[in-house]
Amino acid sequence: MNIDPISWDVRVVLRLVVGSLLVAVGGPVPAALLDEPIQPIPLTLKQDPARVEIGRLLFHEPRLSSNGRVSCASCHDIAKGGVDGRDRSVGLNGSLTDVNAPTVLNAALNFRQFWNGRTDSLEGQVDHVLLSPVEMGSTWDDVVKKISSDSKYKAAFSVAYKDGVTKANIQNAIATFERTLITPNSRFDKYLRGDERAISAEEKMGYGRFKQYGCVACHQGVNVGGNMFQKFGVMGDYFKKRGNLTQADLGRYLVTKIESDKYVFKVPSLRNVALTAPYFHDASAKTLEEAVDVMFRYQLGRVASKEDKELIIKFLHTLTGELEVRP
Amino acid sequence: MNWLTQLNRWLVAAMAIVLMAVLAFLYAKTQHWGQAEYSANVALLRHLKQLDAQWESDVLKSKIGINTHYDPLTNLLTEMNSLLDELDADIQVQRHEEEAVLVRESAQLRQVFQEKSALIERFKSSNSVLRNSLAFLPTAAEDVVQSMEGGSPNLSNKSHLVLGTVNKLLLASVLFSQAASNERRNEIQARLDQLDAEKISLPPGLRERVEVFGTHVQTILREQRGVNELLSRIAGVPTARRIDQLGNVLNAEQQHVAVQSAQYRAYLLAFSALLIALFLYVAARLVHSHTVINRVNRQLSSANEHLEQRVQDRTQELRQAQNELVMTARHAGMAEIATNVLHNVGNVLNSINVSVDVLTSRIRSSKVQGLMRAMGLMKEHQEDLGSFLTTDEKGKVLPSYLSQVADLLLAEQRSAIDELGSLSQSVEHVKMIIATQQAYAGMSSLTEPTQIQTLVEDALHMHAESLTRHHVSVEKTYAQVPELPLDKARILQILVNLIGNAKQAMDGVVDRERRLTLNVGLADDRHLRVRVADNGIGIAPENLTRIFAHGFTTKKDGHGFGLHSAVNAAREMGGTLMAESAGSGAGATFTLILPFPESR
Repeated sequence: MNIDPISWDVRVVLRLVVGSLLVAVGGPVPAALLDEPIQPIPLTLKQDPARVEIGRLLFHEPRLSSNGRVSCASCHDIAKGGVDGRDRSVGLNGSLTDVNAPTVLNAALNFRQFWNGRTDSLEGQVDHVLLSPVEMGSTWDDVVKKISSDSKYKAAFSVAYKDGVTKANIQNAIATFERTLITPNSRFDKYLRGDERAISAEEKMGYGRFKQYGCVACHQGVNVGGNMFQKFGVMGDYFKKRGNLTQADLGRYLVTKIESDKYVFKVPSLRNVALTAPYFHDASAKTLEEAVDVMFRYQLGRVASKEDKELIIKFLHTLTGELEVRP
Repeated sequence: MNWLTQLNRWLVAAMAIVLMAVLAFLYAKTQHWGQAEYSANVALLRHLKQLDAQWESDVLKSKIGINTHYDPLTNLLTEMNSLLDELDADIQVQRHEEEAVLVRESAQLRQVFQEKSALIERFKSSNSVLRNSLAFLPTAAEDVVQSMEGGSPNLSNKSHLVLGTVNKLLLASVLFSQAASNERRNEIQARLDQLDAEKISLPPGLRERVEVFGTHVQTILREQRGVNELLSRIAGVPTARRIDQLGNVLNAEQQHVAVQSAQYRAYLLAFSALLIALFLYVAARLVHSHTVINRVNRQLSSANEHLEQRVQDRTQELRQAQNELVMTARHAGMAEIATNVLHNVGNVLNSINVSVDVLTSRIRSSKVQGLMRAMGLMKEHQEDLGSFLTTDEKGKVLPSYLSQVADLLLAEQRSAIDELGSLSQSVEHVKMIIATQQAYAGMSSLTEPTQIQTLVEDALHMHAESLTRHHVSVEKTYAQVPELPLDKARILQILVNLIGNAKQAMDGVVDRERRLTLNVGLADDRHLRVRVADNGIGIAPENLTRIFAHGFTTKKDGHGFGLHSAVNAAREMGGTLMAESAGSGAGATFTLILPFPESR
């Protein structure tokens, strides 16, 4: 995920030089589209395999929750786009979360975690969820005790970590596993890497519309979003229209207590967006069509034709990638 | 004296500890947070500053659209945060004099970065909206124009008015985005109000387009101001100054430490010089000691040589004494044999004496006198011998008397012959005893092929008389052994001694038969074995090892040479002599083992 700016420039220059050379020779130029606002996902984020294995077990471990029923996988089904498909997730003893569960897929590529970005690392995300009375309702003392009493975990931890089972190591193991949950090689990424035929002409047009209408102003970068905050309803009062204002709707304000951060949310990644309905923090959009409509109305302040919206949705489908690891 | 050396030792140990402590202290002082750490810290800060500058430039690139996405901004933040973490870790690990100040400075640095990061987040949000609206504005204006051209012509007056306002707003907004001034803002605001008023009379489709246009102009107005303000605030965040300040603290500390370090290095140098002087002193002492030791060593070695000479002399003397002793023992052995011989000869002489006495008395009481008287009678009656024999009283018994005398004389002769035979046998015996003794006497270390049994028999023979006299029964077991070149004299000496001892050991035995057992055989294929066993008084266990010692004896009239010389003789022949006994009263067995001589 780290793109070194210098080598980045060198690559651009190299590509230009190589490209012009090829043009001079008259050959075809299967050049990658590297100066696009959307960047392909690196094919792999190398992680310590022992820690990944522990993280995989812990990710599916219901003992992390106080009642022993809720695991990370309860709300983040890796096989189903990393979400549970519910409007609000069911946490401890049937209680509902405040917002729609964001996908765990490519979460490693987000600059912050949660809709309101209240932590900037996956490790921090684990901490928040585990302690949240609505989600897992645990305490670290309990969890560390439960995990260390399991000889299987104890042995695995002692191999992968110097100090065995600790709060930090549990967090790190889960986060390490989550860093393997990236979905490279979407058709669109292949297109970005230079495969002209990876997406259809309509999908290319859809990408054109996506840029032209300004969706790309926020949904950009390697994760097609997930690297900035934006006010929900920047071109119109979304919440007035929707009604039933909740605490969670305050978004980033809950973290910073700055007036201007009210209704500000992390721009979600559009990777695998076709798999992660319903949409928005309040799950108000059940389909991509509804979501795109809302975006045009309240974020872009523009009117788009039905055809353009359909093209954009077609483009969005090309963002579905391949999971590198088994769930 | 003893407690003085003890004290000395303690003093040396204490001094060594003090010296080591001083050295460690000085070393530790020079090892304070040093040049290498300082360089690492400075490099880190420089890197941080560079990234910070790049961050700002990326913000500007995003502002003018060179950067099409915000990944560089977030990636730089991640990188800078990890540098800040590294810096904090370094400050904790390295031993800084001004740690508290550095921690405070670092916390402040982190805070300004957070501040800047928050501003950049807001910039990103505003900038996206602004850029979208700016990009869209011409299209929005175009939409208004198009929808107007498609509309009814009778509204053209108002429409033209609106169109004019829209175009002016478009131009003003673009200019405003280039250089945001208050006048231009006021102008745009005024025209927006004007547009609001003008749009009321427009048909709904057109009005909607105008409203969209107006909203975006408003957005540009709002966000442009926001973006500009954010940019100036971002530029105003004193990240670079904070980094410099931290650098200055480090620099000051480095200089102070360098001065201090130099000072301690000087101390360390002085201390080293002291140590070297001490070392040289010790070395000199060592060299001196070494010379002394050498001298003493030389003296010792010469004394040693002298001693060796003396030991050699002594050994020589001892050897001589030993030889003399061996000779003495040998002579003693010889003497023993001689004693034995004389004893035997004495015994035989006794028999001779008896025989001579018997003969003498027998001859003295011979019947020859009777014969002589008869012969006298016959001479008296020479003329009438016939009548005398037939008529005379005396004459008549004379023939029968003569016949009786003849018988007696015959008996006498026979007895004399017998006695003489015994006498001559005894003489023969004496001759033989002497011959045997002479056969061994003077034979020193001469070997000649011999059957060991012959020697055993000879030895037995030497004791035959006394053995018989002491009623000792002899039991002999001789296995077949080859004829070997043996030192007859020595072996005989040993055997005579052993048999003599055995005999004496059985002197006190009255309750059982006295039995001497002689056994000759092979110990193995290279050794002869002769066993002399008795059932006499035996040997007490504590004496078993001492009986071979020179001068050891249990006999009243013993000289302690016998077994000693016997065992010496056995050793001289390369053999061994061993004694076994089950204890007092249980008899004893002596075993002589002799090797086959090397040359056959």
